[in-house]
Amino acid sequence: MDQSSHITAEISGARARPLVLVPVFALISLAGALFPSFSLGAEVLVVAVGGTLFWLGLSDRTPRRSSPDRLSARARWWLVPGLTLGVVEAINFFAGSTLEHPTLSNLADPILEGYLARAAAYFGWLTAYWGLVRR
Amino acid sequence: MIVVRELAIAGFLGAFGAALGLEWAARRPGSRIPSLAAICGVAMRYRIGRLPVGRIVMLGFCWWLGWHFLAR
Repeated sequence: MDQSSHITAEISGARARPLVLVPVFALISLAGALFPSFSLGAEVLVVAVGGTLFWLGLSDRTPRRSSPDRLSARARWWLVPGLTLGVVEAINFFAGSTLEHPTLSNLADPILEGYLARAAAYFGWLTAYWGLVRR
Repeated sequence: MIVVRELAIAGFLGAFGAALGLEWAARRPGSRIPSLAAICGVAMRYRIGRLPVGRIVMLGFCWWLGWHFLAR
């Protein structure tokens, strides 16, 4: 590794630390929660932040955690929650996504109208997204 | 019918409960069940030629989730 690459890696590593990221994500979440759904502010924030993380995830600018080469057969257990969620969501979506047949977003919308819940959802989304970027 | 709605809610809660249980089991010492992060990591390694298809799909899906729940 030449000196400039080494410096770049050190800066990326420093930026990737929780001490830096948690306050940044918290600030974005607190600001993002001010914007209701379907507002221009929410659209711009999600597109800008999501786009930045998408770009970071495709570039080599962040250090990545190791992943196993192969999954054990027991990984199939994950099909249970995955398929349950997919089937219940699909049934309710094709049944019209109504009060009687609520999709996940129908159920989440009233909760996400509250400021704190919305801020927590932003924070959870950013943390999960960052986890993917680092994979 | 409200029973149908409650069934749907129970289905979602059951799925999330099962996922939480599996994640807990995966994090136990010596567990052979992979964590959700490990599964995502393997899926993200999928490529077609030089195109990181798995990475694009997973990152794109996460972006869409944020847009769907927080902006729409």
